Amino acid sequence: MSVQGLTRRDVLRRLGVLTAGLASACTPLRIVLHDYPSAFDERDPAERVLRAFVLTVIPEAEVSDPNLARAFGDPDLHYAPYRGFFISDLCRRAEARTGEAAFERLSLAQRTAVVQDGLRADSTTARLYTGAILVAQASYYAGIYDDKRGCALIDFDGAYQFRGIEAITYPDPERFLSRPATPDGNWV
Amino acid sequence: MSVIHTDVLVIGTGFGAAAPALRLAEAGARVVMLEKGPYINPFKDFRQTQDPRYILRYIKGLSGDHLNFTYAEGLGGGSGFYEMVSLRAPSLVFEQRDEDGCPLWPSGVDRSALDPYYDIAERMLKVEQIGEHEVPKSGLVFSMLMKNLGYSCDRARYAVQHCIGSGFCTTGCIYGNKQSLHLNYLPQAVAAGAKVECGTEALSIHPLGDPRSTERHRNWLHVPERYEVLARRSNGGTARYRAKLVVLGGGTVGTARVLLASRPYLGLLSDHVGRHIAMNGSVKAAGILPEGVPDGDMFTGRSHCGMISYQFLESHGVTISSARAMPINVAGTTHLRLAGDPRDPSYWGQANVDLMKIFRRRVIAIYSLGLTPPAATIELGDDGRLSASLDLGSGLRRYHETTEALLHNILGQNGCRIVNVNFIDGSGREFSDPYFSTAHQVGSCRMADSPERGVADASGEVFDHPGLYVSDGAAIPSSLAVNTSLTILANAERIAAGILQRYNLGVPTSS
Repeated sequence: MSVQGLTRRDVLRRLGVLTAGLASACTPLRIVLHDYPSAFDERDPAERVLRAFVLTVIPEAEVSDPNLARAFGDPDLHYAPYRGFFISDLCRRAEARTGEAAFERLSLAQRTAVVQDGLRADSTTARLYTGAILVAQASYYAGIYDDKRGCALIDFDGAYQFRGIEAITYPDPERFLSRPATPDGNWV
Repeated sequence: MSVIHTDVLVIGTGFGAAAPALRLAEAGARVVMLEKGPYINPFKDFRQTQDPRYILRYIKGLSGDHLNFTYAEGLGGGSGFYEMVSLRAPSLVFEQRDEDGCPLWPSGVDRSALDPYYDIAERMLKVEQIGEHEVPKSGLVFSMLMKNLGYSCDRARYAVQHCIGSGFCTTGCIYGNKQSLHLNYLPQAVAAGAKVECGTEALSIHPLGDPRSTERHRNWLHVPERYEVLARRSNGGTARYRAKLVVLGGGTVGTARVLLASRPYLGLLSDHVGRHIAMNGSVKAAGILPEGVPDGDMFTGRSHCGMISYQFLESHGVTISSARAMPINVAGTTHLRLAGDPRDPSYWGQANVDLMKIFRRRVIAIYSLGLTPPAATIELGDDGRLSASLDLGSGLRRYHETTEALLHNILGQNGCRIVNVNFIDGSGREFSDPYFSTAHQVGSCRMADSPERGVADASGEVFDHPGLYVSDGAAIPSSLAVNTSLTILANAERIAAGILQRYNLGVPTSS
């Protein structure tokens, strides 16, 4: 999604639950929207950087997951206007720290350090990084793009799969239940 | 612009709106209900999903410093998405007083006055105490932790039939087992002649003449149309509704919004609109279960885990329950850190992965609901946007500290390793501490004994505005220390009964 024509008002209106408030801090919004290399809007290199970012935030995420970085460009999650700037900032900080501008080629420890650099930067940049971490964690752990798939890493099945009542409770509740204080659950 | 004439206009379709709509329609009044959100067919539209686009279609939020209110917009209001916990407010709730020593509840409204209406509400929603063999694992484990310390713990009560424990209560029950209003009040109201218009937002209320001049009317046939409501439809159109009675049932946030927007037209409206919001003092804590304690389960079993402890109600003013948290709730609203884990980064990277891998089975989350004072405020800005604020004061800060310490003590004495839970805003920034996140906000247009202390009288009628009623959570003057839905519904039944009696509109037939 192009961001070149967006006004500040447009951007503020688009900010949603996952990234609300990012634009309100100190880095001028023109930097967010315009002052980054346009090459980062190209899909493949950008995708590689973002996948590397998700694998930095969640080091055991499934590398082959096709949806690993999808949320960053999802207009409904409102990070898309910041995607290009965020990628360029990751690479700029990668180069400053290691001499290698390709963030995705760094080791996990190096990538982690780069992300920490971003979190320690000025307040708007820091919020772009906390927002990106939020997008990565929420989209991956919750499996938001496939209701049935869930997230194997955290043992989340996705939509309910009936495995019998024994999967929900224990057969010997008396072992667990404490003395009640009411006859029916309602306090007088 | 079209003008729709009706006897009763009910704004909202949730717990506070459904009872007046049903009872007045049953009594023969022409009733129109307005719902800002979309139509919901509970057998087609609900999903078992973590997709935020689905969730945000219905679930809305209003945040301010130190607090967040969550509420639903859609047919049935919060009833489609709540945890279906249905408990009566304890008697001591109605004895709360403000800082000046004045009672928070108006004279004559207490537990004994509400009990007959709780009976009706429970029958309508088929409320039952959960069976011993239905309690989800996390609820049983919580009960075991309380038992270990000699504390009481009770099986809670729910508006559900034949629950299979899928775990998706808060995205809507796709099986039709949760007794949301779509299965009882709303279809019965429609069968009695009520009309429901979804995608229609009430914007403002305008008196037709001086409503006080109509106060003497008791014969329903002679009551004139007294208010006009301007509404906006989701398709961009507008409409005007004229009615003898207007019943505000759009929830604590929605009702405050409409009345605040109507202040220029309702000249005698109390200054208390939008103020004195209580939020049930929800404080959360989490820990890792020690070896020897069986697994819980964060992802299956009904969303409220089946158990509630009243052990600390009289001593600390709180009840305690265990919580389940689906992945989107955890990753989308919190930063988790294992206390004592020296790794940096803490809430992301390998430290977070290690915690999330055991989150489902080995993390226990507990929370309190408490008798916190009505200290929050909603305001309507010149741009039409609502804002919320909370006066922490020393009392609320101290409440948060002591309650969190109590919860940590329960976990710690059981050998749990504490997991620090920090709530975040929509950009991932951590809120300053303390922070109250709740769906139990009540009281923005509270009932009181006089307009100097509230917005509506004990009958729910807005002071100096005959025929204008508040029947939802906005009318509830205090925190309840238990989930609020059943009390909102019971109070709405009480208000509806009062309207029927006042206008000799007959006796409701269904219950």
